[in-house]
This record gives sequence, structure tokens and C-alpha cells, in this order.
Amino acid sequence: MNPDSPMKLVSDLLDLPLLDQEGVYCGIVDDIELAGRPGRALQLKALLVGPGAYAGRLPRWAMAIVATLAGDSLTRVPMEKVRSINSAVHLDCPARDLGLQKAEAVARRLIPRRGAL
Amino acid sequence: MTLAASIISNLITCAAEIGGVSLIANYLAGVPYLLAAVVLTALIILSIWVLPFKWIERVYGLLGLFMITFAAALVAIHPPWDRIAGGLTPQVPHGLSTKEMLTFAYFGVAIVSAVLFPYEVYFYSSGAIEEGWSRKDLLTNRVTSIAGMGLGSLLAISVLASSAQLFGPANVDPAVPGSAALQAAIPFGRWGLICALLGMFFAVAGAAVETCMANAYSIAQFFGWAWGRHKKPWEAPRFTITWILLFVIALAIVITGVDVMTLVDLAILFSILVLPLTYLPLLLLSGDRHYMGGQVNGRLAKTLGWVYFAIIVAAALAAIPLYLLTSGGNG
Repeated sequence: MNPDSPMKLVSDLLDLPLLDQEGVYCGIVDDIELAGRPGRALQLKALLVGPGAYAGRLPRWAMAIVATLAGDSLTRVPMEKVRSINSAVHLDCPARDLGLQKAEAVARRLIPRRGAL
Repeated sequence: MTLAASIISNLITCAAEIGGVSLIANYLAGVPYLLAAVVLTALIILSIWVLPFKWIERVYGLLGLFMITFAAALVAIHPPWDRIAGGLTPQVPHGLSTKEMLTFAYFGVAIVSAVLFPYEVYFYSSGAIEEGWSRKDLLTNRVTSIAGMGLGSLLAISVLASSAQLFGPANVDPAVPGSAALQAAIPFGRWGLICALLGMFFAVAGAAVETCMANAYSIAQFFGWAWGRHKKPWEAPRFTITWILLFVIALAIVITGVDVMTLVDLAILFSILVLPLTYLPLLLLSGDRHYMGGQVNGRLAKTLGWVYFAIIVAAALAAIPLYLLTSGGNG
């Protein structure tokens, strides 16, 4: 499936994992951004990634807990950067170019890189 | 809501398991309970960090097989097999007072709850993703689950039947792990007791690993973080921090001094409340031809699935009233 093919937004896109150009896992599709006007077809403009995207999907009390635990960052991935969509969303650029996985990189610095067999 | 409820339920379960292994370490080696809790939590964390996943499974899974001591102990006391076979048909004992009937119902709910904990679903399914299972693994998976559940049920039957034979006539209530382990000491002596305690120790420690990892899997998958125990700890850093923190929180619950058996009661109570929410999506998906293709559940599997769902919903609805009316099964 390419980004122009028809798809069911909820079952075929939301929660799919994102893999960057190098095949690195960089999050899941948490929400989408649509563009359009009355009388015109809606267009999928971007994928939204990060706990900030839950604000519209969760009750306020739950969002407060999520923001405390995981922050409220939100990264916008323009559809022009999406190469293909199948069991994952494949991007055609490295995750760092879009600002994805910043928190993962911060957390990685806290973990000692030794001891595991 | 399901995620939040599952996390709370799994956390209480993990705390109960850490309390359980600490209690058993106290029986085995005389280590003070709270010190054992701290040391054992650190050792479990260390084992998950250091060992590859296959070795974690082998160490806890194989050493947990010491639990077979309970089945051997049942055979050794020559129980009335016809009466045990008769007990396979659900029946309510005659002549119970209302209070005793409520306690009986509470333990019925507890046993139904203990058959399947929500964490097992998350742990098993996450493991399937990590190990890249496909259709060719279905047979192995089916054999593993049937053999695993069969062995677990056999051991549960052994513990219950031995208790009824050995403790019932003496009016002893084997409410703590130590008294349950005495079932093996009666026919086999000191080594029977040690094997039973070792089996309980590794089985419960293994369950603590699974419970904590299941919680970390759920949280990481919800937030879209890198996850998996097949990765090195630093390759999935937020997942790693999450499971370590969850162990620390579970340990903190134990250190408050709350009674282990109270934690076990609460773990069973919360688990049965959450189980229908965990089980229903699986039941619906496995019956969806569009999603499952040729592996969709047939009529028999669907019927059995819905019957089990009805049982766990009934148990979930009855759990809180029975817990309150019986003071957690204490009459």
C-alpha cells in the first residue's frame, strides 16, 4: 500500500509502528492530521506521534497521568516523508531528521551499556 | 481504562509474588522477611538484566518443576481416587450454613481467577511478537499451552486434594505457603519439604518476572516505545527503566508491611475484575474471519470461549461482594 491508496484510518493506520529509512523503530501512529474544507475531499496531511497526541483521545484526568508519566511531546510526520504503509509505516528519512525518538535517546544515556549476556 | 486497571492489578500481583518468595526464603534460610524482599528483588532484576530471555525462561521454568513434588506427595498418601475423580464435577457441599456457603463461593471465585491472570495474556502475546511466531508455530504453541495448563491444573488439584486429606480431618487451615508445603513433608520428610519450598520459590519468582515484564510490555506498547527482552537493556531504554521501576514499586508495597496473604487476596480480586476486559477483545478477534483468515475460531471454540467468558464475568461480578461479605475468605 502506498500513501495514496485507500485505507481505513482507524484499523489500518492508527497504532501502526513507524520504521525510519534505516529500519529503526521510532514510535507508533498516535493520531492523524487531516486537511480539507466543506465540499472538498479530506486529505491526510500528517501522522502525529507522541503522548501529546492523546489529548484528543483521552479524558482530561487520564491525559494528566500520561503527561506526568511520559510527557506531552508531539512530533508531526508529514505524509511526504512516508514511503509505504503495510504492517508498519515506512519513512523515507532518518528518525532524527523529524525529531522522533528524542526521549528514547535521553533515556538511553541513563542506562549502562554493560552486564547483559 | 483497561490498561490502567491491568497495571494496578499486575502491580499488586507482582507485590504479592515478591512477598511470597520472601516468605519462602524466610522458611528455607531463616532470612528476615523484609531483608529477603530487598535482596530477592535485586537478584530478580539482576537476572533479567544479565540473562538472555531463553535462559530466564529455563532457569525459572525448569526449577519451578520442583512443584511436581506436590503431585508425587498426593500419590504417596494413597488418597481415595474415586472421591477425587468425583470432585472433577462441580458441586456444592451439602449442609453448609450461609456464612460457609459464601466462603465456599469466595474460594470458587478465587480458583477461577487463579486459572488465568491478565498478565499471562500480555506476557504470552508479547513473547509471540518478540519471537516472531507464525502459522508454523501454532502446533507447538497449542501443545505448550495445553501441556502447561494441564500440568498447572494437575498441581492445583494435587495441592487441594492433599490439603483435604491431610489438613481437613485435623481442622488445620493451610493459609500460608509454609503450611501448604508441609503436604510434601508428611510423606517424604525433610527433603520433600525442601523440594516443595524450592518449587514454590522458583514458580513464584518466575511469575513475578512475567508479571512485571507484562506490565512493562503493556506500557511500552501503549506509548510506542522500543520494547522487548530479546533486545539488550540499553536498546530499549524506556522499557528497561519501566520494568525496573515497576519492581521497585512492587517492593515498596511489600516494605509497607502489608500482609502477603492480603496482597494475594487483592491480586486475585483485582485480576478477576480485569480479566473480562482483557479476554473479550481476544475472543472477538479470534472469531473475526476478516482478521484471522483460515485460523478463525470454529463453532466449538467460540461456544467454549463464550461459556468461559460468562463464567469469568459472573466471577467478576461476585468477587467484590464476596470479598467484603467473607472478609477475604476468612469467614
